Amino acid sequence: MAAPLPDTLLAPGVAVPAPAGAAARRRRRALAPDILIPAAILALIAGGCFLWPLVYPVPAPVGGSILSAGLPPFSPGHILGTDPVGNDILSRILYGGRVSIEVGLAVTLIGLVIGGVMGSVAAYSGGIVDTVLMRVLDVLIAFPALVLAVAIAEGLGPSELHVIWALSFFSVPAFARIARAGTLRLHGQTFMLAARLSGTKAWRILLRHVTPNVLPQLITFGLLGMGVIIILEGALSFLGLGIPDPAPSWGNMIALGQGTLSAQPVLVLIPSLFLLATVLSLNLLGDALRKRWGVR
Amino acid sequence: MAAEAGPAPAGPPAQGVPGDHSPGTAQWGSAGRAVLTSPALRVTGKRLLSAVPVLWGVTFLTFVVMNVLPGDTAQELLGANATPAELQTLRLKLHLNEPFWVRYWHWLSGAAQGHLGDSLVSGQPVTSILGQRLPVTFELMIYTFCLSVLIAVPVAAAAAYRPGGLVDRLSMMLSMAGLSIAPYVLALLLVLIFAVNLRVLPAIGFVPLSQSVVGNIKSLTLPALSIGLPLACFYIRLLRADIVEQMQSEDYVVTARAKGVAPWQVLIRHALRNSMFGFLTVLGLNLGTLIGALVIIEPIFSLPGIGQVLLQSISDRDVVVVEAVVLVFALIVVLANLLTDLLYAVLDPRIRYGRPSA
Amino acid sequence: MSTSLLDVRDLAVRFRQAGRDVPAVNGVSFTAEPGRTLAIVGESGSGKTVSCRAVMGLLPPSAVVTGSARFAGTELLGLSENDLRRHRGADLAMVFQDPARSLNPTMRVGTQVSEAIRSHLPLDRSAARERAIELMAMVRIPLPRRRYADYPHQFSGGMRQRLMIAIALACHPKLLIADEATTSLDVTTQAQIMDLLLDLQAQLGMALILISHDLGLAASYTDDVIVMYAGGIVEQAATRRLFSAVRMPYTKALLDAVPRLERPPHSPLPVIGGRPPDTGALPPGCPFAPRCPSAADRCRQQAPPLLEHEPGHRWACWFPCENGDPG
Repeated sequence: MAAPLPDTLLAPGVAVPAPAGAAARRRRRALAPDILIPAAILALIAGGCFLWPLVYPVPAPVGGSILSAGLPPFSPGHILGTDPVGNDILSRILYGGRVSIEVGLAVTLIGLVIGGVMGSVAAYSGGIVDTVLMRVLDVLIAFPALVLAVAIAEGLGPSELHVIWALSFFSVPAFARIARAGTLRLHGQTFMLAARLSGTKAWRILLRHVTPNVLPQLITFGLLGMGVIIILEGALSFLGLGIPDPAPSWGNMIALGQGTLSAQPVLVLIPSLFLLATVLSLNLLGDALRKRWGVR
Repeated sequence: MAAEAGPAPAGPPAQGVPGDHSPGTAQWGSAGRAVLTSPALRVTGKRLLSAVPVLWGVTFLTFVVMNVLPGDTAQELLGANATPAELQTLRLKLHLNEPFWVRYWHWLSGAAQGHLGDSLVSGQPVTSILGQRLPVTFELMIYTFCLSVLIAVPVAAAAAYRPGGLVDRLSMMLSMAGLSIAPYVLALLLVLIFAVNLRVLPAIGFVPLSQSVVGNIKSLTLPALSIGLPLACFYIRLLRADIVEQMQSEDYVVTARAKGVAPWQVLIRHALRNSMFGFLTVLGLNLGTLIGALVIIEPIFSLPGIGQVLLQSISDRDVVVVEAVVLVFALIVVLANLLTDLLYAVLDPRIRYGRPSA
Repeated sequence: MSTSLLDVRDLAVRFRQAGRDVPAVNGVSFTAEPGRTLAIVGESGSGKTVSCRAVMGLLPPSAVVTGSARFAGTELLGLSENDLRRHRGADLAMVFQDPARSLNPTMRVGTQVSEAIRSHLPLDRSAARERAIELMAMVRIPLPRRRYADYPHQFSGGMRQRLMIAIALACHPKLLIADEATTSLDVTTQAQIMDLLLDLQAQLGMALILISHDLGLAASYTDDVIVMYAGGIVEQAATRRLFSAVRMPYTKALLDAVPRLERPPHSPLPVIGGRPPDTGALPPGCPFAPRCPSAADRCRQQAPPLLEHEPGHRWACWFPCENGDPG
């Protein structure tokens, strides 16, 4: 790091606030608006999708009556209107959001755990394990991952679980790369050397020293990655390879709305807006946390 | 993604101390960098050699995936009502009854000699399918690439000029929104605005370059924007953060300012110039993302590119066509990364001339 | 004193960091005269670099600068970036500590020199190039015409510092500030660069400010010395005078820490105990008191002012060293 002022004030920035003050500051900073606002929006969307249908009855997302088809937003009983087959749009948004959130969370967690472990273990043990892993990652990264996802979704048949499988092929190598790079960076540092020289077992070093250092990076990456996953889930549904048709998903709602884009743009705009709000909040939150934790 | 340059917070000490990095290429330590200390030619040879197992891995993986999938071409072609006898005949004809390894070896030895085979479905040579479809995809790819770079560089420079200023905050907000929008959503929005409401650009269809240059560009503008805008937003944040970092922490920037060079000139001639080297690597690495997005966007705009063929072939289990397309995509990614490394070696004087020995 | 080329009065610099102010320089005054060399000496963090960068307007935006810095009658502090830019490089120039990082690694060295020229003089490309080659010759870079198109990494440390000097002198500035310009160089090269700087100073009649932590360097090459500690000046005198009669215990401690040939072999080198203080949390009283061998209660309660106790010699100390101390 090049200090702009070689002989001046780098020290005071890090200098000794009293422990109590530091704790208070951290508490204050945890509530900073750049973290609070996206987190609140995410909580609102997730809460709406999972809890609202339990607390406040909404019409079923499928099997709507053709008699109430194509209602505009703010119609009585259908606050966001209905689609051309008479399903309540709000209900479809909420149930569709469940799919997006479930897929996003599951794929990110699979990537975080499997990829994270693969990457750190490979970097820590080095040698042939590392070389083989890097080659495999190279292949997966050169492979047009969407093709793989499409092939899996297509072959296994459209279902939420298969979408999760397909998209995990993206998340695992990506997380593995990040974890590997993070672990490699720790390699040269003295506390690692000290732990090693004092005969600490490898798994302990990985757990006690590597994990806390690599985790912030993986978490911020995971938040940003979850946005990408939700977009990709939408893409698969959009291509008809995600959630099978009558069941709702933001992606297939957008795809269905495409046909009536010029006549009824709301059918595309409403799910798009929810998709955008979710992904944007994830990105903002990831970015804010990264700034907070000083992660690159 | 973009990192906000700024003082590291005094949080957990392990992250508070950024590693030192060499001047010029502040924050994008790419995987390719270590290789680059050796002269360009040797690098090329090495990289080409290391690309071979990667390409082989990609074709193998594709074959495995296509083989593991339930159903086969015969089933897809003849439909659900076909009798077992009919299926058997077709399978024999298409060599589908042979073991996996035999078929893969057959395909691989052919591909190694440049014979990519014939489509299982249409019987058309794969090379002629690629010949028809690839130019459209390539054109869209190049257009998208140029568009994203041409948008990103000036915006990033303008934003980095006054960090925290109005332009900066506005472009950071907009780029965050752009980054968060799905390409297919953006595609539909663009169609809604420019094709349905304003009626200035076509919503679907492709006009070949040979027929009309203007028409060609018009027909590709919306698809290119759909992919190029989110990509540009990603680049804006990345490049802006790196320029700001250079402006704040590099000594040669202070030298330039002390010389009395105008602020804009310092930014463009010094900071941006040095940021471009890292940016180049990112551009290369992101070509893969771009290709992935093309597959989804092409069908939305009914472009006769390779994306539609790929989706149809996966659905038909036409392994020969899928293999060829995947191979082309992987080749583009591998070559693009090689090219960026080479360009890097050609452009960056520190590598071009080799480092002085002590 | 009003006729000085550079007249700095009560210069103070604070940095805004995470909502609080961290002082770096507290009320520093000094002058620089044409043809004379001024040394500003002190440990890391004493504020010497910040003071000079404040004058040049090269501090980051988080810096708050107050006081006055008049250059040939023009007040520099508070000038707009664009007005300041016209002075930087043309009237005031600076050479930095680390020539390896201070040159743009991806730009030809000649271009970096001619860029300095073209920022101020209305010369076309080829005229600027000729002039850049002349400058490179002036700082004794061999074969300047051939080396014009080379890149910084093809030069040795000493040659890079010559380039930095050529860039600084591009428009014949009236004041040159050399910020630890020889610190990263080996001893032989250090002497060569210092000789070059003094030669060029005599040739061009510039004022020269030498920022250094090395009292030995100051003693051999300068006319006047300022010693800084914790953001303030603690002793100020003509070089000859200062070294014959050190008053401030801090200066004496610095001087004792310079290795000397006349010491008996293997005698331990005296060091200054403790560390330089954090200017953000200075104790009351004299900032040097916690490390000072002759500190008394008064030193810890009341900060001594910088006063001209003897003609031409100012210091800030309640209990100065007596005359005749080794120096």
